[in-house]
Amino acid sequence: MLVGEAAREHAIAEAICRSSFEPKLYAAMRLRNPGIISLCKRTGGEYVTGKTTDPEFIVESAKRFHVDFVFVGPEEPLFHGVADALEEAGIPCIGARRAPAELEMSKAFMRRLMWKHGIPGRLRFKAFKEVEDAVAYIREYAESVALKPARQVGGKGVKVIADLQAYLSREKAHVKEQHAKIISEEHMKGYTDIEDRILIEEKVEGPEYTLQAFTDGRTVKPFPLVQDNKNAFEMDIGPETGGMGSIAGRGMLLPFITLQEYRRSAEIVKACVRAVETETGYKYKGVVSGQMMLTAAWGPTIIEFYCRFGDPEAVNVLPILKSDMVELCQAIIDERLNKVKLEFEDVATVVKGIAPKGYPDRRDLAKGHPVLVDEEAVKRKGGRVYYASTDLQPDGTILTGGSRLVEIFAKGKSIPEAGRKAEACIPFVRLADGWGVFYRSDIGSEILLKRRIEQAELVRGVYKYRFRKGLVGKTIEWIPGRGKIVLEA
Amino acid sequence: MGSGIVGIYGFSKLWKMARFVYYALLALQHRGQETCGIVTYDGKGGLYSYKAGGLVDQVFSQPETLENLKGWVGIGCVTTVAEKDSSLIQPAIVEGPIRTALCFDGKLLNLKSLRRKVSPLEPRTEAELLALLFSRKLDVGLHPVEAASQLMGEVKGVYSLVALTERGEMVAVRDPHGVKPLAIGSFGFDYGVVASESCVIDVIGADFKSDVQPGEIYYFDEYSIERRQAVKPKPKYCAFEHVYLARPDSIVNEVPIYNTRINIGKILAEEHLAENADLVLGVPETAIPFAIAYAQKAGKPFGLGFVQTGRRIRSAIKPTQFERLVGVQLKLNPIKSAISGRRIVLVDDSVVRGTTTKNTVNLMRNKMGAREVHVRVGSPRIVTPCPYGTEVPEKDELIAAHLSPGEVSKVVGADSFHWLSIKGLVKALGIPRKNLCLGCFTGKYPIPFEDEK
Repeated sequence: MLVGEAAREHAIAEAICRSSFEPKLYAAMRLRNPGIISLCKRTGGEYVTGKTTDPEFIVESAKRFHVDFVFVGPEEPLFHGVADALEEAGIPCIGARRAPAELEMSKAFMRRLMWKHGIPGRLRFKAFKEVEDAVAYIREYAESVALKPARQVGGKGVKVIADLQAYLSREKAHVKEQHAKIISEEHMKGYTDIEDRILIEEKVEGPEYTLQAFTDGRTVKPFPLVQDNKNAFEMDIGPETGGMGSIAGRGMLLPFITLQEYRRSAEIVKACVRAVETETGYKYKGVVSGQMMLTAAWGPTIIEFYCRFGDPEAVNVLPILKSDMVELCQAIIDERLNKVKLEFEDVATVVKGIAPKGYPDRRDLAKGHPVLVDEEAVKRKGGRVYYASTDLQPDGTILTGGSRLVEIFAKGKSIPEAGRKAEACIPFVRLADGWGVFYRSDIGSEILLKRRIEQAELVRGVYKYRFRKGLVGKTIEWIPGRGKIVLEA
Repeated sequence: MGSGIVGIYGFSKLWKMARFVYYALLALQHRGQETCGIVTYDGKGGLYSYKAGGLVDQVFSQPETLENLKGWVGIGCVTTVAEKDSSLIQPAIVEGPIRTALCFDGKLLNLKSLRRKVSPLEPRTEAELLALLFSRKLDVGLHPVEAASQLMGEVKGVYSLVALTERGEMVAVRDPHGVKPLAIGSFGFDYGVVASESCVIDVIGADFKSDVQPGEIYYFDEYSIERRQAVKPKPKYCAFEHVYLARPDSIVNEVPIYNTRINIGKILAEEHLAENADLVLGVPETAIPFAIAYAQKAGKPFGLGFVQTGRRIRSAIKPTQFERLVGVQLKLNPIKSAISGRRIVLVDDSVVRGTTTKNTVNLMRNKMGAREVHVRVGSPRIVTPCPYGTEVPEKDELIAAHLSPGEVSKVVGADSFHWLSIKGLVKALGIPRKNLCLGCFTGKYPIPFEDEK
């Protein structure tokens, strides 16, 4: 039984249904994802809708369907202890227990963990329980910072402010202070499951990428690297979204990340999985993803953790998974992941999200529009449709849920080739009431790749210099009147 | 009219953009030093505006001036044309039907037929006319991108513009010929910026993305950003922009201005090497990169010959002879010890009237004791004024339109005097000649006037 209803879960469902074990797929969803529903029907399974964060609902559904195991797609059910409840009921679960899932749920926990265990790729941070203290800190010290809700709140509420021009500092300080209040009053509203409210981190710059992996708590098996594109509009302009599309290159790599950097990223993720077990006493079983950045400070650096696949990143890698998904899941359950191979087709992939106008800031406007997708035409153009924020109605119409409505997947010999294929599929997705949709035509383009490569080269030059000078993991400063100060990280 | 324009759109209402626009205008000051103005939008009180004659830091010297310009969206402008009536200064604001502010760099070439569309008394300036036409299109229910697209079809001319409505819609347009520059950039997830030059984007801490393409429209509102290539680009990029107008830290038409100016210096040395000279000097500030590259290519030392007094002044675009003279004299206090007894190559950016060059050469020869002065100019001969709004003097004032290089040399008192060739300029730019406007050097202007001048 699959829990979740986004494009990520559609991709997981499809990978499960490809298995040679010929499984029956069951699903527990908040909205009725038409892609997942059709897979349930095709394999002779069933689905239920309800509150997927409610452990009781999930356990009952799993019992009713007599499922062999449960795969939890999104993070919130895990934060609410769905994996714990399932295992206590004797139902194996792919998805971390509540305690290890704190790696994603509490960004403050994650940072403290990295510092305590001396894991590379950590950033300097301050966690605040009171908004007043955060605002006071911003007034006193904060320059270029990232302000985050201390808890994962659906990827929202993060504000990154580079504050390098003294002449614009006052305006930026105003935004930082106001945003800290918004985090506390809006984004963190209603969350009582962690103590910290606001996290302030040093601001870093560089190309971002996601390292997704399966783990049984002993072995960590990384997937090919993927890069998501967060700005709503082309050329990285516009407000932050959940991701407008993503790319993955051949040979498990991205064109701007070296093999050594990939390996080091995987080492960091492994170290964190080990540290989590040490701290919580629970083995981490399921999916773990490092939302990473190549920075001048460390090279590979952790920005955030996911206790799940990324979305859209999952849609890049799961369709090209050659290994048997059910076999992999069984290996995670049995803690013998080291015995099975994780293999992928050696192709480049591009995923493009299509969103209704109004997304991301006015979801009220983006919601409730009837969706028209010509899946056959998309297939003819060499793409595949993964349904995202959509809700299948009893009469067969599909309505938008307010976020990206579908993600288009395409593969090719190179990223630009896959990008062109995905691009050709876009006209076959529209809204029947004439409400507009948008997507990013530049994702997968040569010009954007060139930009990322240039950015990576710049950062790589600096972190390699720091390695040569023995400066990685520390900062040496000279404060006039106080002298030399050596800071860790 | 020559101007520098900027528009900044915050993606969150927390931003107060007036100060960003102010620093953007400081970074555009070289494009116009006579008037400046800012209009902002905060979603509540419509549009806030402040504009006056003078330099940016003078006009906005009182802190409350910027404080009063509320909101998370702002546009601004500097211009080369002095204006006593502050209501005529850009950004132009039309009150209806949809209150709209507009900044404009360029020149309309079918002004008469456009004016026939509106009541003759209403728009008093080209910017007001454009704002009114745009506002009326919005009033009949057109989406701003469609309105801008239609406007592009009706307006014949040379323009980059940015408009802001009382509904919080910001639109930026570059004409299909792209004579005037326009760049786009952004800052994280926080704001987008369009500006005449990419240096603005650097100065306000954002990332330069690309040129706005000729014939392209960028649109921002509270919920969306759109880009439309409304008309196929027919580039006629202004070469003078690259040689003289733009800042050397800008990238215009995908070409770094600095690189072009270095190329110009090298080519100038190839074309007209002053073999006997032993020191190369550049006239501040535009000619400095020319001189550095000339010296490198010629294998001669580059020296510092002049020190500036007071603020940066663009002497050539000052409106009166007196102001130009004051500008030059303050700009060029020669360093006697660097010049005395030397045989000098003096590299200048653009010899327009010849008067300032004459003064400088005389000073170097008579007062500072230069043994020889060889003048090299980093632009081809300027033979006609610009009909597209760039401030170039009238034809009867242009020395190159009337005298041969040999005669000019005698007039300014130089041992030798040479302009860059047009071929050399095109080579330095690396842009195909068919995509350039070289009108001020050739007298041939690629975009026709529909009205008689």
